[in-house]
Amino acid sequence: MKKYIYYSFIALAALGSGCKKYLEVSPDQRTKLNTPEKVSELLVTAYPGGSYVMVAEAMSDNPSFVSLTGLDKPENRDAYYWKDVQGTGQDTPNNYWNNCYEAIAAANQALDAIDKAPDPQNYSHQKGEALVARAYAHFMLVTFFSKCYDPSTAATDLGIPYVIKPETVVLSNYDRKTVAFVYEQIEKDLLEGIPLIKDEKYRVPAYHFTHKAAYAFASRFYLFKKDYEKVITYANLAFPANNFSTNVRPWFAYSAPTGGSTEIAQNMSSAANPGNLLLAETSSWCARNYARAIYSQSQNRLNGIIAPLGITLTAYQRYSFSSTFYFIPKHYEHFVRTSINASTGVGYVMQTLLTTEEVLLNRAEAYIMRDRLNDALVDMNTLISQRVTGYVASTHNFTDAKIKSFYNSRTTDAKQAYIYALLDLKRAEFVEEGMRWMDILRYKLPVSHLDPDGNNVELAADDLRKVWQLPSEVTLAGMQQNPR
Amino acid sequence: MYKIYIRILCTHRRYIPKLLLMMKLITVVLLASLMQVSAASFGQLVTLKEKNVTLEKMFREIRLQSGYDVLLSTNKISSTTTFNANFSNSTIEEVMAKIIAGNDLTYTIEDKTILIKPKEKTIFDKIINYFAVIEVKGKVLDENGSAIPGVIIKEKGTNNSTTTNANGEYTIKTSDVGTLIFSYVGYTTIEQEVNKRTRINVSMKENVNDLKTVDVISTGYQNIQKKLFTGSAITVKGSDVKQDGVVDVSRMLEGRVAGVSVQNVSGTFGAAPKIRVRGATSISGENKPLWVVDGIVLEDIVNISNDQLSSGDALTLIGSSVAGINADDIESFNILKDASATALYGARAMNGVVVITTKKGKVGNTTINYSGNFSSFLKPNYDSYNIMNSADQMSLYAEVYRKGGLSPNIVNGMNGGVFAKMYQEINKYNSTTGQFGVVNTPEGRAAFLQKYAAANTDWFDVLFKNSFVQEHSLSISSGSEKSQHYFSVGYYNDNGWTVADNVKRYTMNLRGNYTLSPKINIGLLATGAYRQQRAPGTLGRTSNVVEGTYTRDFDINPFSYALNTSRTIRAYDDNGNLEYFTRNYAPFNILNETKNNYIDLDMLDMKMQGEFNYKFIKNFEFRSVGAMRYVKTTREHKITEYSNMATAYRYAPNSTIANANIFLYDDPDHPEIIDKESVLPQGGFYNRNDDYLLNFNVRNQVDWKQDFGKHALSAFVGQEIKFANRQNSFNNGYGYQFDKGGKPFIDYRIIKMLLEGNYNYYGMDRFFDRYAAFFLNGSYAYDSKYVFNGTFRYDGSNRLGESATARWLPTWTLSAAWNVDQEEFIKKISQISYLKLRGGYGLTASMGSATNSSVVLANSTTLRPRLSEVEPRIVLDGLENSELTWEKQYEANIGVDLGLFQSRLNVSLDYYNRKGFDLIGNFRTSGIGGEFTKSANYADMNSHGFEVNLSGMPVKTTDFKWNTTFTFGYNKNTITNLKSKPRIYDLIIPEGGPKEGGAVRGLYSIDFQKLNNLGVPVFTNENGVASSNVYVQSTTTDYLKYEGSVDPIYTGGLNNTFNYKNFALNIFVSYQAGNKIRLSNVFATNYDDSDAMPREFLDRWTLPGDEAITNVPSIADYLLRKSITGTYPYTAYNYSSDRVANGSFVRLKQVSLAYNLSTKYAKSIGLNSLSLKLQGNNIWLIYADKKLKGQDPEFFGSGGVALPIPRQITLSLKVGI
Repeated sequence: MKKYIYYSFIALAALGSGCKKYLEVSPDQRTKLNTPEKVSELLVTAYPGGSYVMVAEAMSDNPSFVSLTGLDKPENRDAYYWKDVQGTGQDTPNNYWNNCYEAIAAANQALDAIDKAPDPQNYSHQKGEALVARAYAHFMLVTFFSKCYDPSTAATDLGIPYVIKPETVVLSNYDRKTVAFVYEQIEKDLLEGIPLIKDEKYRVPAYHFTHKAAYAFASRFYLFKKDYEKVITYANLAFPANNFSTNVRPWFAYSAPTGGSTEIAQNMSSAANPGNLLLAETSSWCARNYARAIYSQSQNRLNGIIAPLGITLTAYQRYSFSSTFYFIPKHYEHFVRTSINASTGVGYVMQTLLTTEEVLLNRAEAYIMRDRLNDALVDMNTLISQRVTGYVASTHNFTDAKIKSFYNSRTTDAKQAYIYALLDLKRAEFVEEGMRWMDILRYKLPVSHLDPDGNNVELAADDLRKVWQLPSEVTLAGMQQNPR
Repeated sequence: MYKIYIRILCTHRRYIPKLLLMMKLITVVLLASLMQVSAASFGQLVTLKEKNVTLEKMFREIRLQSGYDVLLSTNKISSTTTFNANFSNSTIEEVMAKIIAGNDLTYTIEDKTILIKPKEKTIFDKIINYFAVIEVKGKVLDENGSAIPGVIIKEKGTNNSTTTNANGEYTIKTSDVGTLIFSYVGYTTIEQEVNKRTRINVSMKENVNDLKTVDVISTGYQNIQKKLFTGSAITVKGSDVKQDGVVDVSRMLEGRVAGVSVQNVSGTFGAAPKIRVRGATSISGENKPLWVVDGIVLEDIVNISNDQLSSGDALTLIGSSVAGINADDIESFNILKDASATALYGARAMNGVVVITTKKGKVGNTTINYSGNFSSFLKPNYDSYNIMNSADQMSLYAEVYRKGGLSPNIVNGMNGGVFAKMYQEINKYNSTTGQFGVVNTPEGRAAFLQKYAAANTDWFDVLFKNSFVQEHSLSISSGSEKSQHYFSVGYYNDNGWTVADNVKRYTMNLRGNYTLSPKINIGLLATGAYRQQRAPGTLGRTSNVVEGTYTRDFDINPFSYALNTSRTIRAYDDNGNLEYFTRNYAPFNILNETKNNYIDLDMLDMKMQGEFNYKFIKNFEFRSVGAMRYVKTTREHKITEYSNMATAYRYAPNSTIANANIFLYDDPDHPEIIDKESVLPQGGFYNRNDDYLLNFNVRNQVDWKQDFGKHALSAFVGQEIKFANRQNSFNNGYGYQFDKGGKPFIDYRIIKMLLEGNYNYYGMDRFFDRYAAFFLNGSYAYDSKYVFNGTFRYDGSNRLGESATARWLPTWTLSAAWNVDQEEFIKKISQISYLKLRGGYGLTASMGSATNSSVVLANSTTLRPRLSEVEPRIVLDGLENSELTWEKQYEANIGVDLGLFQSRLNVSLDYYNRKGFDLIGNFRTSGIGGEFTKSANYADMNSHGFEVNLSGMPVKTTDFKWNTTFTFGYNKNTITNLKSKPRIYDLIIPEGGPKEGGAVRGLYSIDFQKLNNLGVPVFTNENGVASSNVYVQSTTTDYLKYEGSVDPIYTGGLNNTFNYKNFALNIFVSYQAGNKIRLSNVFATNYDDSDAMPREFLDRWTLPGDEAITNVPSIADYLLRKSITGTYPYTAYNYSSDRVANGSFVRLKQVSLAYNLSTKYAKSIGLNSLSLKLQGNNIWLIYADKKLKGQDPEFFGSGGVALPIPRQITLSLKVGI
């Protein structure tokens, strides 16, 4: 009897230790981050998978009321009237918020795996990409969801949580801290990450932070931070040969597409396009909605936008729906069906996040701010030379005189006039890409929109509605939403 | 042994087959040692001095020392008999004399073998015995005078026994002053003193009590006398609840057991019903009870969530794990309900347990039983559905047409009905007759439409038939005291209720039980089932959250087609040929499509099981069960080149369609090609899905039972291990030419198109399930009056992820019972047959669906349009949730069991209260961690309920008997804590959703206010203001109206059986109440000319002012549609408080009339028994909410493979030989 009890206890003890291993089997085929290659694959998802284009564009001064026959989408309608866009579906601010943090989580998971790896030295490239990608996503978040960086108030303006480690509990509390703090963190990650990157390690470089893309991002970051010398430094690093003109998006090559607007849109989002320094795969309906929304571009409006200083940038190919809604084909939808034979699915857009043109214009803007107006003119004209069909320098170039006279009614300050010129050129280049909204934020510009009844609605320069609202669920993380 | 092999098993799972082999070896070794009766020697001298030496050892010594083998040829002494050996150079004769001393034995020596055998009786002995032992003969009859075969006749106080033969006759040699005991299951045991009689005929009475309350409850771990059981459990006999013609055994429990609700969301073979024991316990989990067959948990082949159950997806066809069990093989169901009853299933027991025990061979003569069922599913008809006739329908289309809908541009539309056809005909010029298909004048168009207005197609008639279903089952049972066998085969064939389905199923069941010695029992069990099934070709459904609709592409389910297709559309044209209308841009006819687009499913399910019981020392028993199960199923979706689906892939009659047709290919490498092209120029599709499950289960336990006077103690301790691997793989074939020798013709671009669309043409997923548990149970009973029971269990599983902390969970239960009837003061009350009070409290748990206790990283490829830019990626599918744990529940249960008037009336009452916590669900976070919706333990719920089981025999005379059973279950649950914020859409869908303060599956509605002056519905929207615009993705749900639970609150049934002589009439009514259901989704902003509409539309708003008299919205005209663009008031109306009905119903579930041929006549034709039964299943919905207008309250019209439960007439024949 005693013997049996004794044996059964031994048996139980033996079972306890034996079953540990038995139960360690993973329940499914999930993968483990145990090689640099796998960490690299995780970093493929460290770029925001959401799109800001629809909302940022609709809030800016680019669109106008076109026709009620257009597509009525909340991310167009509500954003046009600067209402908080509800929902978590594609193209909403909430969706962008979630996607940016998803990208950050992937970067953090990668960094965590690198920290725990027995041979972290073999992961230096991955570490570099993770840091820069993490900086980028935070930068975009702070840009849209906080007040734009202003050195005088940044230390008190509400920031967004800067997340640096994987979340392992259901509900973590986060602190928004300040815009200044977020900028410090971005700069730290960015500067630590850039030197570690090895361009040759990328399988499809256009979708990753290569050195060139990282410098481009740095030029944008310092432009926002108003550190103009660094803008110039990083722009030069991105294109040390100063060969901007051959690296901008080649609109001349798109002059006679046999496949119409689709072909141009495909080329615009192609990795082969030299102007695309960084592409991201985003889940978005913007490709089917941007051109035909109720609040978008009429013919006159689009023609006006692409003619800075009255010089029409004729290389842009314009198309229309029903001769009512005009657009430049920039977004191409990649439709992924829910199942193979299904008619329903999800749209993806390969969104261009960073371009050669932006770097060029960032440098031009920095030149202006550093009072190097002539250098700025050269840069602006470099772009114009690639944007006017039958370009003749003397006819089409921006000149000091043209700029001053064109903006005469608005300013007499030369530098200010140059800034106006630059912003208008930039608006033309990036129309329908959401870039204009970022400039409006930086320069605290007021916006005015027309409603279908012909009334003007105004957004003041310092309007609280300029800052996107955080998802209501942030209160679960102990944070406050933006004031309204 | 035990220790070693379990340890091996844990460390290396490849040793599992080895383990089974080892078990077999153990059995063989044990058998060998038992047969090796003895060993000895002779001639020489033997020396052995030892006290208490066993004979076995003695014989071994004899053989060693002398070379003689000793054999025992008697059971008067056994090899384990001990005696004191004191031999010093003794002769064999001396030794043998000592061994057989005191026993009536002798021995012979032949050729080095000593044979010990009983002593031949002397004549004197024989004469004495002649007087003492007499031979008794007799016959055992039942109350009706029929012979009962298999009755056990035992001489009291001895092992001497026999059984009656097929004619109820027996012969037994017994002492002339002994007592004979006659016993038979289901009959009252009789004792008869022999008193020197040589002929004793007895008449046995059926034990009324026995039929309703079986004395033993089987928990799968042990069989306990009901008296000593402290939990809440119900036992029903398989034959009592069997509905002939209903093939899925899980459906048989409907209304039979209080607290068990069965919702038949789909009647398709293989689709599991929604079964709840005491309501839902989990918000996201499966909520279905654990099925245990012969002590082994039945694993599902695939895990199907609650919502998938009612989705109609093809996967549901393999959703029911019990679909392979032949109902005729079931001996009993034990439904374990409360924590103390289910305690031994610990962390898997939260949803209750259904224990199925299959039939065993019986001691007695070989019996052969045949049962045959011949059924017909009756064709449904429009009387019981709410659909407009074609004239009303056409007048409605005319209004749509007048309001600017159905304009000529639908001619190239994706789907089209009569109007689209009209425009097509207008364009069609016949050069021989010189005429157009339809003359484009008002008269010409009217004449064309007139024809279809009069069509009034009966789709049910076209697509359904009165099917013929046959089911045959043959079983053989035989057995002696030492071994019993049961063998059965079953065949089921349903030739199809619709034009698109049929099923065949073959089952086999083999079981042997062997008593190798008084100490050792073994059992072997093998079951197998094979199924072949055809179902309409279907794809998975998807939900559109913005508009709040479900869509299913290429849905050709005959039932949903009949319900949703306008009666103006015809199946045949004027000449009797199939008539085609546009669907997916291409011509479509449902009869052609069902013939050319179908799923062939086959499934093989086999199980082998071994049981081993060994009473190794007094009061202790070692019990071991091991089982292996393998299930393999293949779904082949065959879509021929003549199907609409394949045609759509190459349909481009003009440039408009070529550009619009989403099934054509737009090659991104060739943007210059303007019209899209077909990449399926030939053939159709051959898409295959394979699932398999490989499952091992091993359980070992040691039982201990000992009585100390009035104190009865028992305990057991044990361990079990489960291993299950699941695999799903798919392979899609393109261009398979069904009509051209089965050879594929593949355009490489279809693979390119797939890859660019981010689909692989094949794939495989594997899932690994590892489980280990340890359990300990103790119970104490004093004088069978007071019973106390406690269980502790420790479960571990890998399913939660790789975290070591989340993995383990201890559970426990304490319970007690008081058999009041044993008290002296109750014993005096003769009306009370039995009375028991019981109560229990404990913690149970279930696994939940989350697996993210460690980070979930999933490999895939990027979703980019150009193949050159695609790269592999790893997606962070789930962040680590270090707090993840099992879903848990505390349950308290009190109950009373009462039997009155010799158990003529039996009452069982139970009340329970449950507190569920750590429930898992999708939880919407701030998103900052990088996962917006997380799987987490985020909710708590309370539930309580009350159950009544009443059974009785109000009338009993010799010829007439009336048995009645009434069950009633009440269950109400409330979510007490929910951290997540559901969206409006999550709550208004027909399946309901969770919200704090409501039921687990609460149905909420958008609060309908009125129609405005344009006939557009106005609601209280998410901001609390009256508006036509409700944003269904809003998380502000405060203004929704709570309708109630989707799951019924009251469930039960009433069964009455009337026996008159040889006739038996059975009437069974089931009911449920207290739940709400959403009416089907029919209103929309646009209507196309192929939709069928319900008769509500007859009451629609047509003119301003109508809003005062009707709530049915208008049909939107062009301007109205424009003015409401971006809002969805018509869709929202489907989800409004105006579109909710009461889910209560009373259903005449079953009526049957049986005739049992009396044994006397049966005998005369050489049979033991013969019965004939006519049965109607599901025959009458006695009561349902009028608002449903005929729609079945149980059925979700989800399309796909789902079909409602048919009305069914069955003739069944049972023959016993």
